[in-house]
Amino acid sequence: MKNILLCIIVLWIGDLFSQNKEVLYGLEEVPQNLLLNPGSKVPQKFHFGIPFLSQIHINGGASGVSVYDIFQESSTDINSRIRDKIFEMDAKDFFTINQQLNIIDFGWLAKNEIYFSGGIYQELDFISYFPRDLAILAWEGNQQYLDYDFDLGEVSTTGELLTVFHFGANKKLNDNLTVGIRGKIYSSILQFQSKNNSGTFTTRETPDGINIYEHELRNLDISVQTSGYASLRDADGSSEVISELLGRSLFGGNLGIGVDLGATYDIGRNWTISGSLLDLGAVFHTNGVENYESKGDYTVSGIELIFPPIEDGQPTIPYFSNIEDEFEREVGIDTVNTSYTQLRPLKVNGAIKYRFGRSIGTGADCDCYNMGGAIETNQSVGMQVFSVFRPKGPQLAGTLFYYRRLWEFLSAKATYTVDPYSASNVGIGMVADLGKFNFYIAADNLLRYGNITKAKSVSLQLGFNIKIYE
Amino acid sequence: MKTNLPLPILIILASIFLTACVRDIDFDEADNIALTPVVELDLIYFTLTANDFFDSSTSNPRLTVSDTTDLPFLNEGFAQENLRKADFFFKFTNSIPRSFDINFQFLNPENTETYGTQTNVSQGTPQNPQPTDFTETVEGEELTELLKASKVVVTVTIESSNEELEGELNLKSKTTYYLEL
Repeated sequence: MKNILLCIIVLWIGDLFSQNKEVLYGLEEVPQNLLLNPGSKVPQKFHFGIPFLSQIHINGGASGVSVYDIFQESSTDINSRIRDKIFEMDAKDFFTINQQLNIIDFGWLAKNEIYFSGGIYQELDFISYFPRDLAILAWEGNQQYLDYDFDLGEVSTTGELLTVFHFGANKKLNDNLTVGIRGKIYSSILQFQSKNNSGTFTTRETPDGINIYEHELRNLDISVQTSGYASLRDADGSSEVISELLGRSLFGGNLGIGVDLGATYDIGRNWTISGSLLDLGAVFHTNGVENYESKGDYTVSGIELIFPPIEDGQPTIPYFSNIEDEFEREVGIDTVNTSYTQLRPLKVNGAIKYRFGRSIGTGADCDCYNMGGAIETNQSVGMQVFSVFRPKGPQLAGTLFYYRRLWEFLSAKATYTVDPYSASNVGIGMVADLGKFNFYIAADNLLRYGNITKAKSVSLQLGFNIKIYE
Repeated sequence: MKTNLPLPILIILASIFLTACVRDIDFDEADNIALTPVVELDLIYFTLTANDFFDSSTSNPRLTVSDTTDLPFLNEGFAQENLRKADFFFKFTNSIPRSFDINFQFLNPENTETYGTQTNVSQGTPQNPQPTDFTETVEGEELTELLKASKVVVTVTIESSNEELEGELNLKSKTTYYLEL
């Protein structure tokens, strides 16, 4: 039982290639595949996701380190393992958590042959790059790093909690091409970001200087933007916090707009290409904004005593608070309430698929009305690429997949993914259609399930839907 | 064949999902994680000239001068909880042809001394300044006492003085803080 709990905890805090749902992408049996490509083919005429259960998605990951790396049972000291990892990782390594919960999800094929779909989902997204120099400073101190410029600009992190209201349209334009578009309204509950920081901290030996060292903060430009945090801090009690958060999740927060675009194109009978752009949009933070900034240069060499002639009872010179005041003046933290616009992390999917095997369903080989169109078969292989734009540039993943319709009611897809976390990520997903009831589960990093703590990322999606074909 | 194949696959998949687990892991080790940074920071510095030790208005020697600075970080929570050891390093350079007694008294907010130390600085000449290094390591019980202080009084005493005396007494100092977070 303890181990099961640990598994869940590790899944929760552990990992997943941020937002890459490589198993689910292109899996047309799952209606929520439309959230990954609004221009996907839609086999059903109607779907309705079981509220709160139509898609549960958890994804967490650390590009440079696994739970096992740190907490393995070993004769070496845990602190030396952590130290080794700090030095092994670099400032491009990152930690991410992405979680989505579909609250409502539905879709129907209208008389004009457009498949409309919409719903509400809640999303949590967090990324922090590894601030290596700060970690070294915290772990080792500055004694071994005299004259070294600690880079404070490595701090780069964003996090947000929001509700997304979406509505999309999908249409098969001709035998080959299906396109789709989805509009989104974001209602931000909480957001923070600290990006594009710069500055160095140096402790320099100064043999000819006024003191032994010179401590210098140079070109400091660090800022943190927060939205929705200030009013929570001032809130009175947890019930007030909860009602405030709920209000924000229903258009009461800072609003944003975005769009998803996608298309699927059949080339001949066996080949299909598809692609999508997701979350091309922004959130405009105007309410409850509190930003912190620190800019400037500051150098200090300790406290200079001047031995003033002081009679007994006279106050002494406040040397220390003078230094504190000077520090505040030069590089102190300013709190400002400037509105800011936050781009949502743009995601790009692309895929090419080759179908083979036994033909099923519509578009059979002998269908004379389907000369140009694709045939549906029970197997396919292909390649997918995924990219998400993050503060320090895009993160890429490539996937090979094999899909097979096992029975009429059961399909499976296996994936092999190479991403910043690992080069041996095997995932698998299954979709079952039991009457009108649709269930799916997809997970990756299966090779690590023997010991999940060795995984640097884990992704899990599952959900329940009602689906009607005719 | 089509109907037989999936069952084993299902069983394998189910067993993979259900057996995903945590092995050879000891989360209790988290209790042993300790950050032990060693931080070098400047402390105080000063330059006293020979005529600081002679009051020209009264034509009397002034054998003792002193100054006080707050060090509020000593008796605050962070140092109390995390400081394990402190090395004080004082580097004197004396070009005054007199030796000095230097006294450091650490006082709590009620001006009671909780920790003190002193050293002698040997005499030099304006042509040949004399260096004197002084190191004081504070840990254990002494550190507890030191961390009750919030200021330090530095008292500089010259053995004798007159109007013709020349030269400078210079101090540079730093502290090495051994922390455990």
